[in-house]
Amino acid sequence: MIPETILSSFRDALGQALLDEKTIERSVGTRTPQAVYDVWITVDRDAFHQAVEHLCTNFAPHLSVISGDDLEDTLALNYHFSVGWGEPYGEITFTVRTNVPKTDLRIPTITDILPGAQTSEREKQEFYGIAVEGIPDGRNLFLPEDMTIHPWRLDLQEETSKSVKRLVKWETRDE
Amino acid sequence: MNNQSINLSIGNGATACYTVPVGPVHPALKEPIRFEFKLSGERIVGVDIKPGFAHRGIEYMGMRRNLIQTLYLSERICGICSISHPLAFTQAVENAAGIEVPPRAQYIRTIIGELERIHSHLLWAGVGAHELGFDSLLHVTWNVREKCMDLLEQLTGNRVDYAIPIFGGVRRDIPTEKAHLAYEAIDYYRNLLEKMLDLYLHDKSVEMRTQNVGVLPYADAVALCAAGPTTRASGVKKDVRQDMPYLAYADMDIHAITPEDYGKAAVGDVFDNIVVRLLEVAQSIDIIEFCLENMPEGELTSIPKVPALLATLQKAEGEGIGRHEAPRGEVFHYVRLEAGREPPAVWKVKAPTYSNLMGWVPKFMGDEIADIPIIAASIDPCMCCMDRVHLVDGEGNETVRAKQELITLSREKTRRICG
Repeated sequence: MIPETILSSFRDALGQALLDEKTIERSVGTRTPQAVYDVWITVDRDAFHQAVEHLCTNFAPHLSVISGDDLEDTLALNYHFSVGWGEPYGEITFTVRTNVPKTDLRIPTITDILPGAQTSEREKQEFYGIAVEGIPDGRNLFLPEDMTIHPWRLDLQEETSKSVKRLVKWETRDE
Repeated sequence: MNNQSINLSIGNGATACYTVPVGPVHPALKEPIRFEFKLSGERIVGVDIKPGFAHRGIEYMGMRRNLIQTLYLSERICGICSISHPLAFTQAVENAAGIEVPPRAQYIRTIIGELERIHSHLLWAGVGAHELGFDSLLHVTWNVREKCMDLLEQLTGNRVDYAIPIFGGVRRDIPTEKAHLAYEAIDYYRNLLEKMLDLYLHDKSVEMRTQNVGVLPYADAVALCAAGPTTRASGVKKDVRQDMPYLAYADMDIHAITPEDYGKAAVGDVFDNIVVRLLEVAQSIDIIEFCLENMPEGELTSIPKVPALLATLQKAEGEGIGRHEAPRGEVFHYVRLEAGREPPAVWKVKAPTYSNLMGWVPKFMGDEIADIPIIAASIDPCMCCMDRVHLVDGEGNETVRAKQELITLSREKTRRICG
């Protein structure tokens, strides 16, 4: 997969909603170096679902994981896809990033297009307190069902560290 | 008296659903996870999976330590994949900070990574045999696995947690005088391979228990983003070492192993999982041999002094992705570094079982209760050590109880019973 193929296809499909793009070329191999690519795009939240739909219709991606990045006023979500798997040197990583304002923490689910995203979406819900709209199963996955803190949110650290301290105190208490 | 009054209505009985919980602690499971099976008679018609019993907040901890401390933490994510996580993590940081890795270091990393694949697959094969009730095969397999563990100990000093990769290279060399140990192990496993394939794949009871059991169809494997041998058993030719080579894999022609390499069509059942993993042991032997024969001379690391390395990392700014094909599938690390900040601003870890979690559902559906252990084991799940227990009281309220509290309860019960 050549990065330009996928990028030009996204430029056509998304237009103004494609906010940013970058391609990182890396050289691998010690004998005859070859190039591999990491491609990153940033899309507007309103066009996010459309972007993933475009990706899944045309490029058969694999979703590795969704990572979150707390940037004070916004929460950046990175959807780490890889496309072109199945042949030697055929794959590039393709990360779709979208910024969600903290005042309106919502993102549409992509499980209607790629069912395998559910595990990662559930994890983002519990750890960042973001609402994934339309998720078929929105229960906590890794954290206990009654846990309400969101440990990876930087603005809620006080609450988290209180909870962690309480847990450590409880587990190490001398009876 | 009619049939209805004594409740002999066969139709209702056949369709009634029972719920059977398995786990978090259960003899069939090596690590804590809870399954709730919905059953119609002996058939599984639904399953709810609850992981999280081994959640230790490692990413949270990693984002509060410097990168070298986090590297050692990453090694302790899993006892079996104790080189896979550091390999992915170092690559992510090196990509983010633009640090070069000398060729010799790339080869050494690859050798240790492949040795880990051999011992992990043999461990899995033994567990699989045990779940089928074939314990003599378990003992044979784990006995031959020791050769690999011994070699790892001779090369790195440890059976697990080898502490080999460091940002920019490796911490230990494989000197020429130790290379013969690796060659010995290669010969040992090569001679064994035919026997292992015969024991596992030409045994009537293994065939009957594994063929068409726990099937993950090709389309489901792709849609559910499954990874590693689990997805390759379904015929999906997906392997990071082939698709997007890195380290010494970039100097070789690696191809993703599917059941087709054994001359059979991919079904995605437990049998195919065995085929793929055993053939991958053979592939790993070839890779190790290639690396030993073509090992480049030169430096072990591009920044040998730890204070200089820490200073370089502290100045680094950027983001990077590191991927490694671990024995169980793709390990993925994402790191974002900020200049002037010691810990990573973001560290996201994705282990293979995370990807394969949803693949369990189609695998379980339609199979029998007695197949639960081998299907659960077929993806080679890795949940790591348990730190807390979920208890459900009569009203269905879930609480978390600490280990100490359970010990107290247990002691009280012993006292009560003994009067």
